[in-house]
Amino acid sequence: MTMDKFNQSRKRAGRSPAVWAPDPNRRAVLKGMAATAMTATAGALGPGKARAAGSMNYMCWEGYNDPRIVDPFEETNDVSINFDLIVDSPGGFAKLAAGGHRDFDVVSTDSPWVQRMGPANICEFIDPAEFQDVYDKFYPQFQPPFEPLQFDGKTTGLPTRWGWVGPCINTETSDPDEWKTWDAAFDSKNKDKIGIMDWGDWPIMPMALYAGIDPYKELDQAELDEIRKVLRALFANSRALFSDLSLSQKALLDGSVKTLVGTGTYSTSGLRKAGYENIVAVVPEGNENKQGIIWLEATAIVKTPADIDLAKAMMRHVTNKEAAYALTLNDFTSNPSPNRAVEALYTEEERSVLQLDYVDTVWENSVLHKVAPNIDDLLVIWQEELANAN
Amino acid sequence: MSHSLEPSRLMVALHALPSVLLQSAFFVVPLCMTIALSFQETQYYQVQWVWSLTTWTEIFTTYYYWKILFNTVLMSLACVGLCAMIGFPIAYALVTRFQKWQATIKILLVFAFLTDAVLKTFGWVVFLDQTGPANFVLNFLGLPDLPDWVIYSRVSVLFGMVYTLLPFSIFTIYLSVDMIDKNLLRAAYDCGASKFRAFYEVTLPLCKNGLMAGALLVFVLSLGSFLEPKVLGGGKNPMAAELIRQTFETRINWPLGSALTIVVISITVITILLASRLLDLGQGRKK
Repeated sequence: MTMDKFNQSRKRAGRSPAVWAPDPNRRAVLKGMAATAMTATAGALGPGKARAAGSMNYMCWEGYNDPRIVDPFEETNDVSINFDLIVDSPGGFAKLAAGGHRDFDVVSTDSPWVQRMGPANICEFIDPAEFQDVYDKFYPQFQPPFEPLQFDGKTTGLPTRWGWVGPCINTETSDPDEWKTWDAAFDSKNKDKIGIMDWGDWPIMPMALYAGIDPYKELDQAELDEIRKVLRALFANSRALFSDLSLSQKALLDGSVKTLVGTGTYSTSGLRKAGYENIVAVVPEGNENKQGIIWLEATAIVKTPADIDLAKAMMRHVTNKEAAYALTLNDFTSNPSPNRAVEALYTEEERSVLQLDYVDTVWENSVLHKVAPNIDDLLVIWQEELANAN
Repeated sequence: MSHSLEPSRLMVALHALPSVLLQSAFFVVPLCMTIALSFQETQYYQVQWVWSLTTWTEIFTTYYYWKILFNTVLMSLACVGLCAMIGFPIAYALVTRFQKWQATIKILLVFAFLTDAVLKTFGWVVFLDQTGPANFVLNFLGLPDLPDWVIYSRVSVLFGMVYTLLPFSIFTIYLSVDMIDKNLLRAAYDCGASKFRAFYEVTLPLCKNGLMAGALLVFVLSLGSFLEPKVLGGGKNPMAAELIRQTFETRINWPLGSALTIVVISITVITILLASRLLDLGQGRKK
C-alpha cells in the first residue's frame, strides 16, 4: 500500500492523514525518529510565549482541542495552536499564577478559577459591550453582568460549557424518586452504597446546601461546624471516594454504588452517549435552599497575550455555534452550551444525551457555582474529616 | 611521592565532578528550594516570599497531619514485615529448592515488577470489585462473595502495597542467600546441627544485610505510596503522599505541601540512619 492510498483509507475512516507510511524505508524511519525527537524536545522545553503572529498557546481542558474546533480557527487565522491540556483546574491555575501566565495566551477552565484570575492579576478583563454579539446568542441566564465570572465589577471571561452537580443514579438499580432529596445519601439502608467524587469543591457545596447553608456567602464557625457534621455523616455512609472518572462510572453501572455525590452531567453524559440511558444526573428539590449546583467552564485571555486580537477571536470562536456544538458533544463528557443557537443542531438522541428536557428543572433547583469565600476552610474540613473517616 | 599523588587526587575530583554537578542540579537544589518554599506564605493561591514560620507552626499544631503521617509509617512498617515474611521463603526456595526453574521464576517476577503500577492497581479493583471476576468465580463454585473489606479498606491498601513492593524484598534477600558459603552450612551439619539450627545459626544471620536492605527499600517506597490508598483504599485511608497531593493541588498551598514533603523526607532519612546504625552495630559485634 502506498502512502497516498493509506492516507485515503484513513480519510475514509474519518481520521487525519498519517505522517508515517506503513512501508517505510530506512531514510523515512530516520526522518521520523528525528522529527519525533525534535517534537519531544520542543514539548519538553514548554510552549514559550508565542510572540510571533501566527502562533497561539492555549491552556484548556480536553475537548477544546477537538480538530472540529481547532482546524477552522487555524485555517481562518493562519495560526497554529499549541495546547497544554490541564488535568485539574486548581493545578492549571497554580501553573499560571506561578509565572506560567507569561507562556499562555488563552485559557479555558472551570469558572471559579477564571474568576480568581482577576484578583491574581493574570487575566485581561474583557468589555462585555465588545462581545455583545456573542452574548446576544446566549441564553438569558448567561447575560452580563454574569456574576460567576465577575471580579470587582469587571468581566474575567466568557462561559463556554455548563452542567450540573447532583445525584448521579442508575435507574435500573435506584429509584429516581428516592433522590428528590439528599436524605438518601445518609440513609442507613444505603450504607456503603454511596460513592463520592474527590473533586475539590464539587462534593462540598451540595452538602453545605443540604445542611441549609449557603456556601457562597461568608460563613461563621457554627455554619462551618454544621457542614463538618454533614461531611462526617456522608463519609460514614459512603463506600469509596473516587478521583477517577472511569472507576466511578463502572461502580454506577454495575450497581456497586447507588449514587455518586460531587458530580453530575460531567460523569453521566459520557455513559449516556455510549448508550446507557439508564444513567442520569438529577437535582434534588429544595429545602430552604436550592440543592443543585450549576458549574461552568469559561474561556479567558491570559495577561498580556502575544496577540490580543487573536485571543479575542479565539474567545468568539469557541462560543460560536459550530465550535460549541463540537465542544458540547465530546466522547469523554457531553455538556450543554450557553449558546442557544446550538440547540437547533442537536438530534433527538443528542438532546437525550445532554438531558436537555430536564434543564428547566435544573435551573429551578440549582445555584450557580462560583468562588466560595470560605473555600479554604471547607477544604481543610474535608481533608480533616477524611483523615478521621476510618 | 607526594608529587605523584597530587595528580591522582585531581583526577578523582575531576571524575567525581559530573556526578556532583548532577546530584546538585537534580537533588540538592530542588531540596533547598523545597525547604525555602516551606518558610513562605500564600495569598490568593500565590506564593508570597515573606520568610515566616506560619507553615511550620501549622504543621506542628495540626493533629490530623500527624495522624495521617503516623498511619503512613504504621502501614509502611506492616508492609515491610509482610514483604519480609513472604519474600524470605520465596527467595530461600529460589536458591535452595527451585534451581531448575530459577530463571523462569525470576523472569516472571521481573515481569510482574515491571508492569505499570497504575495498570496493576486498577486491575485489582476490577478483579476484586463486587461484580468482578473474583466473585463470579466464587459464585460459580457455589461459594459466597468476597467480604466487603477485600476492597476499599485498609486491608486492600496493604495488600496492594505488598503486591507492588514484594519484588524488592525477594531480590535483595535472594542475593544474600545466594552469596552464603555452602561450606559453612556443611560445617554446621558436621558439628551436629539440625537443619533448623543450621538455618537459625548460619543462614539467617548471614542474610541479615539482605533482609535489612530489602526492608529499607520497601519502607522508603511505602512512605510514598499513592495509588494503593487512593485507588484500592477507596480514598478513605489517606496516606502521606495523598495528603501532600491534596495540599499542593486542591488547596494550592505550596509552602504547606513543601513542609509536609520535608517531614516525609526527614522520616525517611532518620529511618535510613537508624538502619545503618543498626547494621554498623551488628557488624561491630561480629568483629
